[in-house]
Amino acid sequence: MRRAIALVLLVAGLAVPAAAGAQPGDLDRLDQRAAPHPERQAKGGFSQTKTLTRRFVQADGSTYSFPSHTVTVTADETTNLRGRQRILIRWKGAQPSGGRASNPYGENGLNQEYPVVILQCRGLDDPSLPAKKQLSPATCWTASVAQRSQVTRSDNEATWTHDLEADAADKARVGGLDPFPTAEECPTADIAPYFTRLTPFVTAQGRTFEACDAGHMPPEAAVGAAFPPAEIAAFTDTDGTGAVQFEVRSDVENESLGCSDRVACSIVVIPIAGLSCDQPSSPMTLADQACRKGGRFPAGSSNFANEGVDQAVSPALWWAASNWKNRFSIPITFGLPPDTCDVLDPRPPTGFYGSELLAQAALQWAPAYCLNKQRFKFQLNQMSDEAGWNLMENGGGAAAEVSSEHEQRGSDPVGYAPTAVTGFSIGYQIDKPDNAGEYTDLRLNARLLAKLITQSYLGSDLGRGHPGIGDNPLAIMNDPEFIELNPGLSQTTQEVGATVLSLSNSSDVIEQLTDYIAHDKEAMAFIHGKRDPWGMVVNPKYKNLDMPRSSIPLLDTYVPETSSDCRQKNPAVYFNQLAAPVTTLRKIAEALLDAWPNVQTRCDFDTGSGLYKLGRIDRQSFGSRFMLGIVSLGDADRFGLRSAALQTKPGRFVAPDNASLAAAVALMKQEKKRHPFLLDQAVVRRSATAYPGTMVVYTAARLQNLAEDDAAKVAQFIRIATTEGQERGSGNGELPGGFLPIEKKGVTAKFFAAAQETAAAIEAQRGPGGSDGSGGTDGPGIGDGPGGNGGGVAPPPAVPGDDTPSTASEPSAVPSVPPTALEMPATEPVGSNLAGGLLPLLILLGAIGCVAATALRIGAPVMRRRR
Amino acid sequence: MLSTSFTMIAIVCLWMAAQLLLLGGLSQHRAQDLLYDELRYVLAGPPDEAPPLGPVVPVGDPVALLTIPSLGVEQVVVEGTASGDLLAGPGHRRDTVLPGQVGTSVVYGRAASYGAPFADLPDLHAGEEIDVVGAQGSTTFTVLGVRRAGDPLPQPVADGAARLTLVTAEGSGRLGAIAPESVVYVDADAAKGFPAPPGRPAVVPDSEKAMAADEGALPLLALCLALLLALTLGVVAARQRWSTVLVWVVASPLAIALSWASTDVVMRLLPNLI
Repeated sequence: MRRAIALVLLVAGLAVPAAAGAQPGDLDRLDQRAAPHPERQAKGGFSQTKTLTRRFVQADGSTYSFPSHTVTVTADETTNLRGRQRILIRWKGAQPSGGRASNPYGENGLNQEYPVVILQCRGLDDPSLPAKKQLSPATCWTASVAQRSQVTRSDNEATWTHDLEADAADKARVGGLDPFPTAEECPTADIAPYFTRLTPFVTAQGRTFEACDAGHMPPEAAVGAAFPPAEIAAFTDTDGTGAVQFEVRSDVENESLGCSDRVACSIVVIPIAGLSCDQPSSPMTLADQACRKGGRFPAGSSNFANEGVDQAVSPALWWAASNWKNRFSIPITFGLPPDTCDVLDPRPPTGFYGSELLAQAALQWAPAYCLNKQRFKFQLNQMSDEAGWNLMENGGGAAAEVSSEHEQRGSDPVGYAPTAVTGFSIGYQIDKPDNAGEYTDLRLNARLLAKLITQSYLGSDLGRGHPGIGDNPLAIMNDPEFIELNPGLSQTTQEVGATVLSLSNSSDVIEQLTDYIAHDKEAMAFIHGKRDPWGMVVNPKYKNLDMPRSSIPLLDTYVPETSSDCRQKNPAVYFNQLAAPVTTLRKIAEALLDAWPNVQTRCDFDTGSGLYKLGRIDRQSFGSRFMLGIVSLGDADRFGLRSAALQTKPGRFVAPDNASLAAAVALMKQEKKRHPFLLDQAVVRRSATAYPGTMVVYTAARLQNLAEDDAAKVAQFIRIATTEGQERGSGNGELPGGFLPIEKKGVTAKFFAAAQETAAAIEAQRGPGGSDGSGGTDGPGIGDGPGGNGGGVAPPPAVPGDDTPSTASEPSAVPSVPPTALEMPATEPVGSNLAGGLLPLLILLGAIGCVAATALRIGAPVMRRRR
Repeated sequence: MLSTSFTMIAIVCLWMAAQLLLLGGLSQHRAQDLLYDELRYVLAGPPDEAPPLGPVVPVGDPVALLTIPSLGVEQVVVEGTASGDLLAGPGHRRDTVLPGQVGTSVVYGRAASYGAPFADLPDLHAGEEIDVVGAQGSTTFTVLGVRRAGDPLPQPVADGAARLTLVTAEGSGRLGAIAPESVVYVDADAAKGFPAPPGRPAVVPDSEKAMAADEGALPLLALCLALLLALTLGVVAARQRWSTVLVWVVASPLAIALSWASTDVVMRLLPNLI
């Protein structure tokens, strides 16, 4: 009971960034409505209540009804979903489940009793629609045959043939598909006297897969498909409540299912209450008895051994009429696909280059630009902040999206306009031991992060031989410091526990993360070589690593010595195989979503070539997942990832949510006009409420020499992004979850004002206008620079002022006739005493030599004669 | 003995001075003649050789013909500004555009030694003309003025225009002509330049900057001195057997050639603008 409430509360807490804008208490209020309520579809929410009853027709013709369950199902977001987005589905009042599986997804979840089956189906549950647009079991996606068809079952496993609600046709020995597949098509399907019931799958393109064996399933259901199963047989707690994050798939991920912005789909929630059974024959057949079974596992128990369950109460018969009747259909709509603008708008895009933190917002913003002919075609090209900045500075891009101040190399001044408030978090996917669900309360401090990024955990016994740190814990789950902060977790070592999946390239996110570490005395003492109170010491290769820094280097060089043939033939730096950083935050988010660490220590032997191959380890098994990764708050919200709370004051841990982001925003200060706001981590550490990972994404553009139309576009973008782009919602042009809206009033008012000011400055382009951004470096930047030892001509000074026209290092931008003479620096004196003195000295020495030699020649005989 | 030492000092010093002022001039004229022919050849567009267009031209190759009518200067500009490159003529600094191309081109020249091509440069006046013939055509620059330490830099070069900055050194006082100690610049502009290909090196080695010396010549100098020593020992040994006249007839050309070569190497160790 307490566990379930805690789970629900914490999941709700995670979803706060998403839900806060649109009626934060929405779901809770809906929950409190006790009376059965007709289908309600608010903006992004769903709630429905149904009464479910299991009935048996007795031998005498009377009907016995079990006590009814009044089940209420709610969903938090149902509109404008994107592929792989996870939505929170909760229910209460359901029959408590028994025989809980450790992995409830796909066919692994079949051996449970009274679960809640949640599926994604194409079509809507609306009888007024044409049949093609309605949902049916044949449009519901499952990743395996066993989940949809019962093939060659014996009498006592054919309970569906006694389903009270089923048509006569469904009670036949073979059925489900008309005409039934031939023996050539499905050789195992029709074997008398066994029973078979097929639930075919009809793809969006209209093709029917018979689903009689694995060869007759849609391609996306192949073994080892790109995406793990999303459909789930979820567990209801003993108090009748349950919650699950359900991942939806668009036609990008699952073309056969084919859900998109044009094809309506539903999420079907079927609380399994047990089959209703028809009048038994007398005496009861085995099938009659099987239909009346009520489960062999007590409520709340687990089924670790994956033992068989009573079919009548199992999720395998979700399609049986009496179960299907109990369904809740949650209509969902998908947002425009990511390539909408490329398809619908032929205009060339205007590229904004930089931060991936903005990715989820840009996904929703872009269609609001390209589908509006009054606006330009906005395109966010994600790359490292530094690369985006460089492109913007040298004219390759109209504007850059960055989240910190960058070094200015060109001569043109650059203005920063706050565009979105978001940040990063340490995402995690951790299961509690003994099938107790997901851990939702991870707490980390700076020293633990320092240990992770300095590769100071050993990973496994392979790391034991590493010089200097052989006595360190194998992984974070074995670290007493971690156990103290997060009690009750499994301490079984996994290699992935030695690392936090991070970025391989430079990023402002890493800069901020390391800045957070740099302001923690204990963490820095650890990096400088001091042992932590439990005796752990930093990896010597990372000792005295400079912090903060914009990328985390892979410095270790230890190749373990082992008897493993594979490792001997593929010697590699072990810790780097563990860390294996990736290039984008999105990849980290997906790795977390799939609980698939990027640890590259799996060894495959190819018998054909006799060679070993190292690769990524398998997905983690449900129930023992443990993974950490650096994710953006936008991704964390979209994919329903959990974010760790980071320590600020001793004993205070702050998780990212609206309040903690706002508290951090309140601490930010702007030093100069049109410059970024700075978040001093020292101040964050004194605050008990501010989230250290809060970051502001700025649109940075040149204030001079930007082409006029580009300047207008950038200014337009800043103005729209800071006004209508800050409305919370899932629609085009709206702000997704994981972002704190910038508003005219309140704590973000300073951002709004700064953005408008910068937009005006960018539009004005007060410097002399240039024509385009090309040209590069062919310029009069001659001379050696002030530092050269023989400087000829010093380059003109870079004056980042507002009113000075651009000086010379951007040639294409320099007007042919400067309006005013520039104040030029003085020529540097260059000289050489050697050069000046050499010839006179040579001549002088030569003359002296001649004179002296002559004098000696003449003088010597005289002297001798005197003697 | 003492007298011999002084004689030797006198010979060495005077030989150096003579080579700098007179003999170097001879070799520079000879080099200019060869370079002129080579430049004519490559500018004519032979099939086997690319004209010097930049961004990278092999060091030592001729890149342009520089004519200053008011001073009577006509010199072939070579690529590279290290001390050794400037022995043959004015050198083009490699991190700037070629003379005549859009942007600023910098050309160094010697002020006192090896023909002293830029000796009279400080006598130029604003408005006088400098002609440059390069691979893309000829350009006429108009002198903006002579610039010494402390003078403001000229205005940034206009869009599409070319600038030529000639760099040499000058001395002051009675011995000014042979004591060039401080760097002096002459800036000249042409309204329209030829397009410059991108990809020039961003920096040049320290040895190619103004008044820099090329210490890379030290090993070569050691070799030259060793050969001189060997020649001396050879002469001493030969005089035991053959007559003095015979030995000197044979040894003199060798000694002169070796001295000449050694002095050329020594020049590379000295500041490049003298």
